[in-house]
Amino acid sequence: MDREELRTRLFLRAALPLTKVVREDDKLLRLVTKNMTGVVQFEIKNAETAAHLIFADDALDVKFGKHEKPTVSFVFKDYKSLNDFFTGKLALPWIKGLYRLDIIARTVPLLLKLKMLMPEADPKEPEQRALKVKLLLYMVTTALSQLNKAGDEQMTKLTKKSPDRIYQWVVENGGPAAYLRMKNGKTKSGRGIYTRRRPFVLMRFPNIEGAYQVLTSQAPLVDAVKQGFVVTEGAMEYSKEIGLRMQYIEELMA
Amino acid sequence: MAKGLTWTVADADHMTQAEIYGEVLTQLGHQNDKIVALTADLAGSTKIGRFQKDFPDRFFNVGIAEMNMMGIASGMAATGLLPVVSTFAAFAALRCAEHVRTDICYQNRNVKIIATHSGTSFGQAGTTHHCTEDLAVMRAMAGMTVIAPADAYETAAAVAASLEYEGPVYIRIGRSFEAPLHKSIDDFDFEIGKAIKLREGTDITVIATGRTVLGAIAAAEMAEQQGLSVRVLDLHTIKPIDTEAIMEAVMDTRRIITVEDHNVYSGMGSAVADVIAASGKGCVLRKLGLQDEFSIVGYPDDLLHYYKMDEDGIAEAIQEVMKMDFEEDEDWEDEV
Amino acid sequence: MALKPAELKKLKETALRIREEIVKVTYTCGGSHVGGALSQTDIMVALYYKFMKIDPKKPQLPSRDRFILSKGHGGVGHAVILGDLGFFDQEELLDFNKTGSPFGMHLDTLKVKGVDASTGSLGHGLSIAIGMAIGARMQNKKWHTYCILGDGELHGGPIWEAAMSASHFKVTNMTTIIDRNQLCIDGDTEDIMALEPLREKWEAFGWRVVEIDGHDFNQICDAIDQSHKEKEKPFLILANTVKGKGVEFMECGKQWHYAGLDETMMNDALASIRKGK
Repeated sequence: MDREELRTRLFLRAALPLTKVVREDDKLLRLVTKNMTGVVQFEIKNAETAAHLIFADDALDVKFGKHEKPTVSFVFKDYKSLNDFFTGKLALPWIKGLYRLDIIARTVPLLLKLKMLMPEADPKEPEQRALKVKLLLYMVTTALSQLNKAGDEQMTKLTKKSPDRIYQWVVENGGPAAYLRMKNGKTKSGRGIYTRRRPFVLMRFPNIEGAYQVLTSQAPLVDAVKQGFVVTEGAMEYSKEIGLRMQYIEELMA
Repeated sequence: MAKGLTWTVADADHMTQAEIYGEVLTQLGHQNDKIVALTADLAGSTKIGRFQKDFPDRFFNVGIAEMNMMGIASGMAATGLLPVVSTFAAFAALRCAEHVRTDICYQNRNVKIIATHSGTSFGQAGTTHHCTEDLAVMRAMAGMTVIAPADAYETAAAVAASLEYEGPVYIRIGRSFEAPLHKSIDDFDFEIGKAIKLREGTDITVIATGRTVLGAIAAAEMAEQQGLSVRVLDLHTIKPIDTEAIMEAVMDTRRIITVEDHNVYSGMGSAVADVIAASGKGCVLRKLGLQDEFSIVGYPDDLLHYYKMDEDGIAEAIQEVMKMDFEEDEDWEDEV
Repeated sequence: MALKPAELKKLKETALRIREEIVKVTYTCGGSHVGGALSQTDIMVALYYKFMKIDPKKPQLPSRDRFILSKGHGGVGHAVILGDLGFFDQEELLDFNKTGSPFGMHLDTLKVKGVDASTGSLGHGLSIAIGMAIGARMQNKKWHTYCILGDGELHGGPIWEAAMSASHFKVTNMTTIIDRNQLCIDGDTEDIMALEPLREKWEAFGWRVVEIDGHDFNQICDAIDQSHKEKEKPFLILANTVKGKGVEFMECGKQWHYAGLDETMMNDALASIRKGK
């Protein structure tokens, strides 16, 4: 898989689904999209790769692949264009169903909210910073899993021979959590805390602010540990391995 | 447990296993001026160098000469000092086994040996720096007390307890990056010779020691999800062994799995077998550890898995002993 | 400084007495490391009867000088001296080597009064002595540590580890003596595993070395005096001795490393000793 195709996969499967989370979190967005019914699709011209948002009954669902009859379709001419769009560069897709301005108008704010994932976005309000941490945690874990499922060598090297292991990230005192499970080449990302076995590597953030610093790479991991932003427990060599891949994800999705 | 240790949990978060004991030793050094520390060119690696910072005149690095180190410790102890000696387990227990035996145990000198990088915890360094025979050797020395603490907190407690205890003590730990078992040093009671019952259970008992205890707990939790009641004993003291706790497990569960980062010949499992056999009571015994083989090179956590000393290996053993199959979690879809 | 005639006479008589006793014990107990016990006698007599601050009635006296016979097989000679001084009843030596006796070929510090370390396995004693000397220094004690090494014992690594560290840690409150009787069990040390140039080796390790005739009391005492004054380097007395010294038919014979004596041989040995100067 070439790099752009890989990146598209990550954006569609790891970033786009976060619109669900963002919608749950933001009352205004919730209100705006409350009565929406329709399917918004993101696709690459002449390719199978696609994902779509299904708005119905005051809920948002995210599915992969092409929908039979999307209400609106953002058609990107190639992988790179989609990637540019998701990294905030000006790259307007061809829009099918342009006349459904009502759908588009209400979808765009959701997409714009995702911009907070970008490194430049540095919200000041505590709730927004907390949201960003949650989004980053979910995104990173899913991206890692998708990387493996896409057959990326960096990732499969780690998962191929792995016994059943859980890499868990958690912000203490009821903060957000996400995990990555891997076993014999398979991976699964999940939200919250995996309960069926103990974490093999646990990255514990004592508070949102520390998590924010680490996840936005403002604090390099080594200093982060020293300053108490994060405590890593479990297999030392493997927390390093997963850290390297987190960096790799960051590079891919920048 | 010594009173008035001033480091806190916050410090512990940043300290590895060996560092915590280095702190504790230093603190105790302030309370007792007879404590001296020795190492054989491994002050940094074994973290006993922490003691050196506060007490440069009470710290002796003999260079890579472990035999000399044990002899010097013996001589010092004879004058009333309280020597704490630290080096890698392979060297402490094997290279100068005879010195430990003849100069320290046989002459009953009050020397404490803290052997680091025991078992296969030194992973990448390979077999020459692993030590899967030290429990066997040290156990066979009359007068030696043998302890394998499960985590940093137990190590600190063991060091403190050993300093109050009259006679030679051998404490074997990992290389310092092992995950904590307890929440804090006050979270458990440490008494030399008394196993810690971490989990109650009635179907089967897992007796683990050293860095395998964490996996035993995890395996027990996994088994619990399948409806099994698993007792877990943290047998930190291999000698003198807690006969009472073992016999209680024998009578209550009749099935025992032992786990140790050590050869299954002559180690903790064998010590447990001694107790069971002497009692004349029937009991199933499965020993997990290195099955009389030399270790391979690998990351320490991978080696735990490879030798089936981790939660998967223990869970598998539990399954086999209980003749049950556990349900797998086969959901591989990413959550969206 | 030469010994006064009266003192010299006393030391020689004591040495004679000790040698006789060693031979007698060897006879009663069925065999002993008689050769090495005889070669070390004069040095040990000088130490125990002239220099060392000890109290036979208080074997654990904290302020006592320490003595480590690193060549632990010389234990029979050590036991005889301790008995002669009154650390225990000399009668007990009749049970030497017997089951249940506190006395065996190698003396046990936990069982025999006056013994500061259980040696026997070669190569340990110097390390222990260094530990004791450092212990004394750290606790500001004025007592001195003496250590006698065998020459065959110098084949093994641990002695050199110790030698290096004595120099590194500047252990000057210790006097080390090598009983250089030139023999180990299988023969001449130079044929088995050559030690020479021995003096240079120790000097290279940072020691002050004084070479003496290990059977000349003037030289022995003079060297020990010097060792007390040395403040810079660890001090070694390289004492050239004769294995089996005092018993003419034993002298320089490798077979007398460990041997038994029947009544005739014992009497011959005693006669030879008494003839000696």
